[in-house]
Amino acid sequence: MTSASLAALTGRPGNLDLVRRLKDPALLLLPALAFLAFIYLLPLIDLIRISVSGPSWSSYFERVFAIPLYWDSLVRTMQISVTVAGLCLLFGYPTALLIHRSRGIAQVLIATAIVLPYFIAILIRTYAWMVLLGRNGPVNKLLVSIGILSEPVQLLFNRGTVLLGMTAVLLPLMVLTIYSSVARLDQSLTRAALASGAGPIAAFWRVLLPLTLPGMGAGFLLVFVAAIGFFITPTLLGGPGDQMFAMHITQQADSVTSEGFLQALGVVLLTITLAVVAVAGRFLGFEFIWGGRKLTEATPRTTDRPAADVGRRSLSATAADFVGWPLLRLFGRLPASFGTWTVRLVGGLVIAILILPIIVVMIISFSSASYLTFPPPGFSFRWYEQFFSDSNWMRAFWTSLVVAAMSAGIAIVLGASAALGIVRSSIRGKSAIMLLLVSPIIVPPVVLGLSLYSLFLRFDLVGSVFGLAAAHAIGGLPLVVVILSASLQGVDTRLEQAAAVHGASSLTVFRLVTLPAIMPGLAAATFFAFLHSFDELVLTLFLSSAELKTLPLMLWGDINYRLNPVLAVVSTLEVLLVVAGLVLARPVLATSRKAT
Amino acid sequence: MGEPAAQRAMRSGDANVRTLPTGRLRDRDAIGSSISVREAVKTYGSFHAVDRISIDIEPGEFITLLGPSGSGKTTLLNLVAGFQSLDSGEILVDGKPVHNVPTHKRGFGMVFQSYALFPNMTVSQNVAFPLRMAGVDRATAERRVAETLEIMRLTEHAAKSPSQMSGGQQQRVAIARAIVRRPKVVLMDEPLSALDRRLREQIQIEIRDLHQTIGSTILFVTHDQGEALTMSDRIAVLNAGKIVQIGRPLDIYRHPTDRFVASFVGESNLIEAEILQKRGSTLTMKNRAGYVFSAESRDTIDVGRATVLVRPERIAVSNEPAANSTPVSVTSAIFLGEILRIEAQMDGGDPLLIRCTDMADRPLPAVGDRLHVSWGAADCWVLA
Repeated sequence: MTSASLAALTGRPGNLDLVRRLKDPALLLLPALAFLAFIYLLPLIDLIRISVSGPSWSSYFERVFAIPLYWDSLVRTMQISVTVAGLCLLFGYPTALLIHRSRGIAQVLIATAIVLPYFIAILIRTYAWMVLLGRNGPVNKLLVSIGILSEPVQLLFNRGTVLLGMTAVLLPLMVLTIYSSVARLDQSLTRAALASGAGPIAAFWRVLLPLTLPGMGAGFLLVFVAAIGFFITPTLLGGPGDQMFAMHITQQADSVTSEGFLQALGVVLLTITLAVVAVAGRFLGFEFIWGGRKLTEATPRTTDRPAADVGRRSLSATAADFVGWPLLRLFGRLPASFGTWTVRLVGGLVIAILILPIIVVMIISFSSASYLTFPPPGFSFRWYEQFFSDSNWMRAFWTSLVVAAMSAGIAIVLGASAALGIVRSSIRGKSAIMLLLVSPIIVPPVVLGLSLYSLFLRFDLVGSVFGLAAAHAIGGLPLVVVILSASLQGVDTRLEQAAAVHGASSLTVFRLVTLPAIMPGLAAATFFAFLHSFDELVLTLFLSSAELKTLPLMLWGDINYRLNPVLAVVSTLEVLLVVAGLVLARPVLATSRKAT
Repeated sequence: MGEPAAQRAMRSGDANVRTLPTGRLRDRDAIGSSISVREAVKTYGSFHAVDRISIDIEPGEFITLLGPSGSGKTTLLNLVAGFQSLDSGEILVDGKPVHNVPTHKRGFGMVFQSYALFPNMTVSQNVAFPLRMAGVDRATAERRVAETLEIMRLTEHAAKSPSQMSGGQQQRVAIARAIVRRPKVVLMDEPLSALDRRLREQIQIEIRDLHQTIGSTILFVTHDQGEALTMSDRIAVLNAGKIVQIGRPLDIYRHPTDRFVASFVGESNLIEAEILQKRGSTLTMKNRAGYVFSAESRDTIDVGRATVLVRPERIAVSNEPAANSTPVSVTSAIFLGEILRIEAQMDGGDPLLIRCTDMADRPLPAVGDRLHVSWGAADCWVLA
């Protein structure tokens, strides 16, 4: 301000112009964009380049589609992903309604039961299902004790467990997406429908469902896209016939000879993902990726349509007259409690599916038995002692802490400045930049890991702590940008203007007005970025070395090698970490919910 | 539970007579329902939102629930609508208890503060919705929608989406949706509070005229006393979960039962005065300034002190002392157009608010000017 006004006084417009340009908030976007360009875009471009570097550009792709193994696996991946997304929708919608309709402490508890698993590592939640469904697990014991089975059977390693595990892992994503679209609605809309004579089911069908359709679509696509790239859960819960596409990439990654072909596999997975997202974004607006609101409201089709349409309209109108409306009125006769109980039953089932495995694992961590069995024959701290006295586990634990702290640091610094840049600048193409910043969320981790691997080889970063932290920050950055730009938008700029008018410099304004206002968001963003890195497994599989082992990597090794209660100890510690984080972040979540 | 039958018999007797307290002429016979609320109670924890409220609403009556926020008026409306259930007490519509009838089977119309138009439907689809739910066939529904849209002067907007319309238009659509079934009861929850003043006054008149036309019982909730006075047959003033007073607008304004109603409805001077003597129904009183005036009293107060309501526009003002006047000094004077609003102080320190018509021979008083005010026995009302 002072240098600018001095420049103006001394009459040097060129200088003034430069100063003003250097103060453009858009410049704050540069660090994050440079970071992503180097560690995210460049490797992906390189991946695509290698995939087309064969004798002819398409030769590797021809091989992918010529080998039945890969084609079948691609079809299977689509089938599994659609089924999982459908199951999540079926069970997630009533659960979202259950959260919306409960009040007070019940609502807090139900919401926590959904949110808590969302923040626990996929690896750990999958492990919990292995425990639950194992030969000595509680499900087998229960079935035997009530006489359905005569002896424990193998419940794991089939298509059913893959679907169950993936649905359970992805349900919170669906519930939260739908909930945000339900909570956004004016509550008096349902009341208006009821007052107009619509029964609860008719009100749901004619008002609630059409208005939450975009939310359902967003949830379905988010789950579908995540499921396509799934790797951990199908590997651990599936049998030989349940191979998903992402699994081939990790298997092939070990053999050096598949250079080019491997990249082609990755490009196929990436292309499918991006195509789905592009089509979805066309209809829903790309904001669906980060749960933002579409700016242009969907307008209903008006009735003054061209005459050619009339024939079809009258047909559907006739159908509505003779089938739809009478059916809705018939449903109106159902007792009002019918819908309420459907919501409660399905919601209760979902909560049980999400919470029970975690509880079982926590109990088993205190088991005195030397193998996995539930209920435990006795209780002891022996597995905790073993965990804390094993130098390998301890070293992995510390490595994870260091990597996660560094990664959160990188993500916060870059993400906060990018959020400021995107909210406060007036540059064009904001939504494209936001899309780029957030896009790492949707790129399958396997593809990202594969592309980073060659970059890391070239710069000798494999096995370096900093390299791993930076790689994890690719996924942490979008979380920070989304959370912080939301809290920055919540800051009343008039407060900043008021402070400036009363004599505060722009730095003082930031320190005294802006920073306190976004502090809760900043804390939450830090926690989520930390957790993202702390839980990360897939990138780590590609980028770590024998010397650099993180906790998830140790868990992964042990799950594949021997299933023992030490894993339950690690899981319990992780759950406690997340619970502590959520308790700390609770005031933040409460205020952010008020703001929406 | 033998009572409802007796009630019904009594009600149907009433309904044949169809005389309303106001005795207004109607375009058609009233088709509204009577609503009786008996000892209704609704609590949230320790908060008594509705605290043993009883009220009898005549068929075809326009009744307003008036009160500050938190007074229980919206809760009472929601209880009648069936969105919430009573803790105790009962609500009878045409003599029949409705506590087991879900909202969608009560057959009411309702207008919401936020309009609550279905954004996924056009204007005509919104208005047709209650008819389709009631099982009216498409042709009849279209005809009645067209009629209703015409009454609400919305015909040219039929194909629009609600989001393309202004607030006033949206609220007219919401009203059209509420009346399209010709319901016996229409509930209105602060329907005008989101509109600007001129639009509000215009739609107030439209709703009044509409009430004349359709004859439904209208239960109207507002916190705006002006709205309540303009529109209602009767007003129920609520405070802290109870009905403080119920009566015609004129009675509420002229003869409030207590200080709360006196100060909530209209502007008021509440003057503490000592009762000097009582002769018949006329009290002779003296206030702190030593001003002796007479006042009509409706009940048995005859000794001690009482609070007297004097409306600001009932005070006679003069520049010269007159018989039976008292001097005041002006603390502020605002020119509002057709009237002057003068704040003054009586001797002894009591403030006095005066509204008087602007007259050519009266200059705008300046701060510190001495004026002489007086009021007659008919201009004041002794509060209990």
